[in-house]
Amino acid sequence: MTVKGFFKSNVFKCLVTLLCVLLVSGVFLTLMNGLLAVSDQERLDRAINKIYGKSVAYTEVAVADYNDSATIEAAYKIKDDGNYLVKSTGKGGFDNGTVTCWVVVNVSGGAIKGIDKVVIDSNKAQSYIANINDNFLSGFYRTYENGYYFNPNDGFIKTGATRSATAICNAVNGAIDYVNGKFLGNVASDAYSGLKYTEYVDTKATTHEGKDGNVIFHVVTKGYGMATPFSIDITVDREGVIKAYTITKNGTDNYDPNKMHSGILDGTLFVGKTVEDVIRFANEGMEYSGVGSDLKTNATNSNYLCLYAAAFAAENYEKFLPEEPEESEEAPKDDEQGGQE
Amino acid sequence: MGTFIAIVLAAVLTNNFITVKTYGICPFLGVSKKTSSAAGMGIAVTLVMVLATLVTYPIYTFVMVPLGIEFLEIIFFIFIIASLVQMLEKIIQKISPSLYGAMGIYLPLITTNCAVLGVTELVIGDMSAYIGDASMNIGWAVLYALFAGLGFTLVMIIMSGMREKLNYYKTAKALAGFPIAMVTACFICMAFTVFSYISI
Amino acid sequence: MNKYKKITLDGLIYQNPTFMLVLGTCPTLGLISSAFSAMGMGLTVVVILTLSNILISALRKVIPNAVRIPCYIVIIATLVTFARMFLEKFVPDLYDSLGGFLALIVVNCIILGRAEAFANKHTVPEAAVDGFMQGLGFTVALTLMGIICEFIGKGSLFGYQIMDFKVGMLAKPAGSFLVYGICIAVFTYVIDCIERAKRVKANKLARENLLREVA
Repeated sequence: MTVKGFFKSNVFKCLVTLLCVLLVSGVFLTLMNGLLAVSDQERLDRAINKIYGKSVAYTEVAVADYNDSATIEAAYKIKDDGNYLVKSTGKGGFDNGTVTCWVVVNVSGGAIKGIDKVVIDSNKAQSYIANINDNFLSGFYRTYENGYYFNPNDGFIKTGATRSATAICNAVNGAIDYVNGKFLGNVASDAYSGLKYTEYVDTKATTHEGKDGNVIFHVVTKGYGMATPFSIDITVDREGVIKAYTITKNGTDNYDPNKMHSGILDGTLFVGKTVEDVIRFANEGMEYSGVGSDLKTNATNSNYLCLYAAAFAAENYEKFLPEEPEESEEAPKDDEQGGQE
Repeated sequence: MGTFIAIVLAAVLTNNFITVKTYGICPFLGVSKKTSSAAGMGIAVTLVMVLATLVTYPIYTFVMVPLGIEFLEIIFFIFIIASLVQMLEKIIQKISPSLYGAMGIYLPLITTNCAVLGVTELVIGDMSAYIGDASMNIGWAVLYALFAGLGFTLVMIIMSGMREKLNYYKTAKALAGFPIAMVTACFICMAFTVFSYISI
Repeated sequence: MNKYKKITLDGLIYQNPTFMLVLGTCPTLGLISSAFSAMGMGLTVVVILTLSNILISALRKVIPNAVRIPCYIVIIATLVTFARMFLEKFVPDLYDSLGGFLALIVVNCIILGRAEAFANKHTVPEAAVDGFMQGLGFTVALTLMGIICEFIGKGSLFGYQIMDFKVGMLAKPAGSFLVYGICIAVFTYVIDCIERAKRVKANKLARENLLREVA
């Protein structure tokens, strides 16, 4: 085929047509892309407006973690009403997974007024997340009292996805902590973090006071399994000996408190003991104590919560002893007391 | 290894192309009257899915993204798939006429099969649901395409088996053909729902 | 004018792409679990199908026969890409709910099918009406099934919760298959009945005419 023949042939015509169509499409789309491209900023605006429910102006703020059980991913201050929108990932979900939530923290007058909205963004390994419904999430929207932390066992609708619900609570608590500490300056005075035997102790809700040269801990434990948090008053003297032990709120009340070990229930097991003894109870069961019965009653979790509360108090008393001979200057902060009363 | 198992399970069972994503329904309903043709179609689709991913994924990541022409992906991908199918047809015809006889007739139908374009679009999108924290690369992309294709083939074969049995029964006139095939497909989907409870 | 009436009836009823030709099944089954996304997909297809029919019909004398399919594919892909950009910019809700099926309109058999079967043999106005009517047939069918699936499957309509009772299966692919299958059966059955009634009526008329002539 000659060159001239090629230019006249059908093949050439086909090629030219195809190329023309391609070229026109390419140019058209490039133009349209320039006109219609959605920038990353616009995408973010949309996401935020969708979560917030209306279009708002906002500024992004730096993130920092204030809570062990949640990671703050991003945070925005809404200019219109001064609220904060926090993207928080709660740990402790099913199968060590996490749930990431958007939390709208309502702030007015320099204090947190409540949680306006919780939207689940994504999750890792939460196979039953579909059981979390709006009814559950609306459990967060009640009036927030300062120092209040959401506990999945506390007044929430049963979901059928307890671990995912725990992770969501952690995420919301993390967001509250973060807004509280970072923006409102109320750094949760976590005097007990880094201490020994705090695994089962809610270090944020626990307080202490000095009295008559002794230190009284108002320990609030975490929930564990079926057991909801306990509140226990434990008095420790200057030698580290437990002087008094009273359960003020029993976490097994919904079930049968009498299933707990009787010595733990009334405190006879602890009075007069030191931290070594308490830990030996925990490790060796009742054999050491000579009380005779096993710790593994039908309320093992509750027993262990109380044991570790006592161990926490007896181990750490030294740091919180009041100064002699006067009353302590390390008396707990007002806001902490407020939460207790 | 964990990622490998996660991808395989997701592609074949939990996120099966037909029963969960509803991709590639035309051949699923059209070519599933006999097991032999269903298997042939399934294998042909798998082959094209793997080859298409092998070509489109690097082109997208290493050419289109750096050049900033991601918006042309649909045109590029459909063109690549169409030419690939043509080439494959010619090559198979040349190398193995017997294979061409078994598979060749299905190849031209594959260009307009959503499963192929679907998989190439999926692997360039957000795959974090399948691969977790691992970073996406061509290996995972092709693996996903391969097992998504095999999952497609599996459902095709199950469907053809059921339709062959259905031939022995008399169907109401209004239900004959597509309607009864879809009701059958409904039952397969229900069976596959069980797998959605697998978590890795 | 009769010509357009036929095209309209074909698109909506006698050659309805969803119920009679059973084309474009992937987006149908994937999206009818929600009436909003089903209707959105339908309307997107109406626009793309009308435009592609117009373009292909206008270019039918220019494009050589040998490369017509690649040209059609490029034209359709361009329109789909454009639709995707447009929806992402102006209707992001719909863009999100259509997901992967938006790009897959390219391989929707209805569009290439109409290009091959109709647009490249007819004039621009005819092709435009055909594209619109076929798309409308598709939209009506999808919206209808979307309403059924969403109402029974989620107890809601276009996202508004109406009742608490729901059969979750109908909002899943299994339910989409079931509803689609039953809808095809009912549709063909009704069309069959109407056709038969027409035939009976025509026969009767013919017999009466015959009798009158004989008399």
